[in-house]
Amino acid sequence: MKGAFTYLLLPHLWSSRNRAQRREKGDGVRALLFGGVGVGVFIALFYGAAWLTWQLQDYDELGDYLLRLGLSWIFMTFLAFLTFSGIVTALSTFFLSDDLRLLLTAPVASRRLFYARFTRTVSQSSWMVVVFVTPILLGVGVADCAPTRFYVTSILTIVPFAIIPVAVGTACTLLLVNVFPARRARDLLMLMGFLFSGAIVILLRMIRPEQLVRAESLPDVTGFFSTLQSPVTPLLPSFWAGELLFASLKGGWDLLHAGALWTTALACCVGLRAADERWHFSGYSRSQEAPKARFAHFRALDVMARFLPLSPVRRQLLVKDVKIFLRDVSQWSQLLLLLALMLIYLYNFRVLDLGRIPYMSGFVKNVYAFVNLAMAGFVLSTVAVRFVFPMVSAEGPAFWLVRKSPISMHDFLWSKFWTGLFPILLLTETLTIAANELLDVDPFLKIVAAVAVVFLSLALVGLAAGLGARYPRFTADNPSQVAGSYGGVAFMILAVLFLIVMIVLLAWPSTTYLFYQLRHRPIGTGRLVMMGLSFGAAVAVSLVTWLHSMRSGVRALDAMSN
Amino acid sequence: MIAVHNLVKQYGKFTAVDGVSLDVPPGEIHGFLGPNGAGKTTTLRMIAGLLKPTSGRVEVNGHDVAKEPELAKASLGFIPDRPFIYDKLTAGEFLRFHAGLYGLDGKGVMDRVHEMLDLFELRRWENELVESFSHGMKQRLVMCAAFLHRPRAVAVDEPMVGLDPRGARLIKDVFRRMSERGVAILMSTHTLEVAQEMCQRLSIILKGKIVAQGTVDEVKKLAGGSDDHLTSVFLRLTGGSALQEIDEAV
Repeated sequence: MKGAFTYLLLPHLWSSRNRAQRREKGDGVRALLFGGVGVGVFIALFYGAAWLTWQLQDYDELGDYLLRLGLSWIFMTFLAFLTFSGIVTALSTFFLSDDLRLLLTAPVASRRLFYARFTRTVSQSSWMVVVFVTPILLGVGVADCAPTRFYVTSILTIVPFAIIPVAVGTACTLLLVNVFPARRARDLLMLMGFLFSGAIVILLRMIRPEQLVRAESLPDVTGFFSTLQSPVTPLLPSFWAGELLFASLKGGWDLLHAGALWTTALACCVGLRAADERWHFSGYSRSQEAPKARFAHFRALDVMARFLPLSPVRRQLLVKDVKIFLRDVSQWSQLLLLLALMLIYLYNFRVLDLGRIPYMSGFVKNVYAFVNLAMAGFVLSTVAVRFVFPMVSAEGPAFWLVRKSPISMHDFLWSKFWTGLFPILLLTETLTIAANELLDVDPFLKIVAAVAVVFLSLALVGLAAGLGARYPRFTADNPSQVAGSYGGVAFMILAVLFLIVMIVLLAWPSTTYLFYQLRHRPIGTGRLVMMGLSFGAAVAVSLVTWLHSMRSGVRALDAMSN
Repeated sequence: MIAVHNLVKQYGKFTAVDGVSLDVPPGEIHGFLGPNGAGKTTTLRMIAGLLKPTSGRVEVNGHDVAKEPELAKASLGFIPDRPFIYDKLTAGEFLRFHAGLYGLDGKGVMDRVHEMLDLFELRRWENELVESFSHGMKQRLVMCAAFLHRPRAVAVDEPMVGLDPRGARLIKDVFRRMSERGVAILMSTHTLEVAQEMCQRLSIILKGKIVAQGTVDEVKKLAGGSDDHLTSVFLRLTGGSALQEIDEAV
C-alpha cells in the first residue's frame, strides 16, 4: 500500500474526512442551499434530456440521427472544457500546490508522484463534467428504455474520455511551465480562460437556441445540425464516445470506438508519464523562481486620487484596493465574463419578440420592466457577493496593518463601501436604463427603475460590506472562497428577500399609476397617499438595510480590534 | 555527510548561488550564515532536491541528488524555512503519512511516532488538527517529521525562528545529540549566538559566494580580529552595519 501511488492521495482523503467530522458554522445552510440548487439542476437536466429524446423518437431515422449527433456534440463541448480545465488544474496540482514542497523532498519515485498527481488532476478537472453528463445520459437512457449495458458502457466511456483531454491539457501545461515561470503562465491561463468562457457564452446565445423549439424553423434546424458534421469529427474522442454510447443505447456493441477510446487513453498516460519524468523537475524548479515580476505602476491612479475630495487615509485605502485589484489577473479578468453576461442580458431584451402578442404587448412590456429591475438587482447581488463581500477578508494576514494604524474601523469600512458602490451603481444603472430603452417601457417606469437602482445599490452594497465585516475569512485562498462562506450565503439569502420586498413595494404603486393613466382617470387622494407610503416604505427599507448593515459591520470590526 | 561541489543557480541573468562548495562530514554541525538574500535558502533547497542547480553537484551520504534522488532523499532530513503541513490532518496522521513516504511500515511506526511526539513535547496534541497549532508547535512537528526516519544527514533552514527559549533549548540538545551519533547537520541561521555555541565549522555566504569558511576561530582570524564577538566578525565580512545611517534615520 505504501509503495502504491494511491498512498500519496491519503492526506486529501483524511483531510476531507476530518473536515466532514468537524462541522463549521453555516455548513448546514450551505449544504442545504448548494444541495438544493444541485438537485434542481440534476432534475432539470434529466427531464430536459428525457423530453428531447421522447420528441426525437417521433422522427424515426432522423430522430436517431439527431440523437447520435447530439451525443457526440455534447461530448465535443465537454472535450473542449476538459482540455482547458486540465491545463489549469495541472498547473496547480503538478507545479504550484504547496504540498509538493513536502513530497519532493521525500524519497518518492517520480513515477508514483506522477500517477498520484494525474489522478488528482483528472478527478478535479472532470467532476463537473460527470455531474452534468450523468443526468443527461440517465434521461436519454430512461426515455429510450435503454438496456443495462448502456449504463455500464456510460461509465466505461466517461473514464477514458476524461483521461484523454486532461492528459493533453497536462502536456500543454508541462510545455508552458518549461517556457514561462508557472506563476506567469497561471495569469495568462486565467485571462485566456475568462476570454474563452465569455466567447463561448456569447456564441451560444447568438445562435439563438430558442429557434429549436419553434416548429416552423425545423427544416433550418436539420440544416444547422448537418453543418456540425466535419471531416475531423471522426478523429476526435467525442465522436468515439457518442458512437459507443449510441450503439449500446440500441442494444449493440461498438468495439472499434471502445478500443479507440481506451487505447488512446492508455497511450496518453504512458506518453505523458515519459514526458513528466523528463521535464517535470525542471518545470517545477522554474516555478519556484521569483524573477522580478513585470507589473503596471498605475502612476496615473496616484495622480487622479490626489484630486479626490478624500482624507489621506481614505485616499490611500482606495488607491491600495484599486491597485491590488488591477494587478491581480484572476480578479479583473472575471469582469470580462461579467461583461459577456451583460451583453447577453441586453441582447435578450433586444430579440424579445413582444409583437407576437399584439393586444398585450404594452402591459407585458411594463411587467418586463419589473422583471428587468429584479434581474438587475440579482446581478447587483451577485457582483456584490463576489467583489464587495470579500473586501474586508481580502486584507488577509495584512489586516494587522489596518488594526495597528490610527484609522477608525468606521473610516476603513466606509472606504470599502464607496470603493464598491460606484462601479456597481454604474453597472446596474447602465443595465437597467439600456434594457428599459430596448423594451420601450413607459417613461414613468423608466424613472422609477432608475431611481430604485440607486437605493438598491446603496442597500445591497452596504449589506455586502457589513456582512463581509461581520463574517470575514482572513485565511481564505481567494475571494471566491470567501463568497461561498457562511456569510456569503447569508448575504445572498438576505439580498433575495430584500429584492422581493422592494419589488412588491415598487410594483403596486407603479402599476396603479399606469392603470389610472391608461384609463385616463384621476387618482383619488387616499390612493395617492397609499402610493406615496409604498414608495416611501421602499426608500426606508433600503436606507435601514444600508445604514444598519454598515453600523453592524463597523461594530464587528471594533469588537475584533478590542 | 553532505558535500556540495561548485554549485551555481541562475535566474535569468541573476546569479543567486555562485560556485558554492562545502563539505559537512558525519558528526559535524556546520553553520551556514549570511545576510538576507545571500543565497542560503536557495542552496539548501538545491541540497534537498527542490531546485535544479544550473551547474554543480550535491551529494548526500554518497548519493548524487541529481542521479539518485530517492536514495539521497531517503537519508536526508530537511527542515525548510516555510514548511508545509496539511492543516486538516492531525499531528499523528501527518507523522504516520510522513513515515509512509520514507517507507517506514509495520508496528514499530507508531512507537517511533510517539517517541518523536514525546521528544518534542507534542504527545498530548497527537489527535488535534494542525490548523489549531501555534507557529512554534508547527515548527516542532516539522522537526518530528524530519527526524522520524533517522536521517544520517540534516539540512535545516532557520530552525530557531518562532521558538520560545524552552523550544530553542530542546532543538539545540537534539542537534547536539544527533551530531554525537554521527549525523551531519547543515544549519542556516541568523542567530549568531546559536552558530557560535553549536557549530564546529561555519560558512559565510554573501551575494551567492562563500566569503569565509572554517572553524569559528579560523573565521574570526580571517576577518582580522580573533577576540571579536561573532556578530562583529559577521558584519565586517558582510558589509558593515551602517550605524551612522541608523542614527540619522532614527
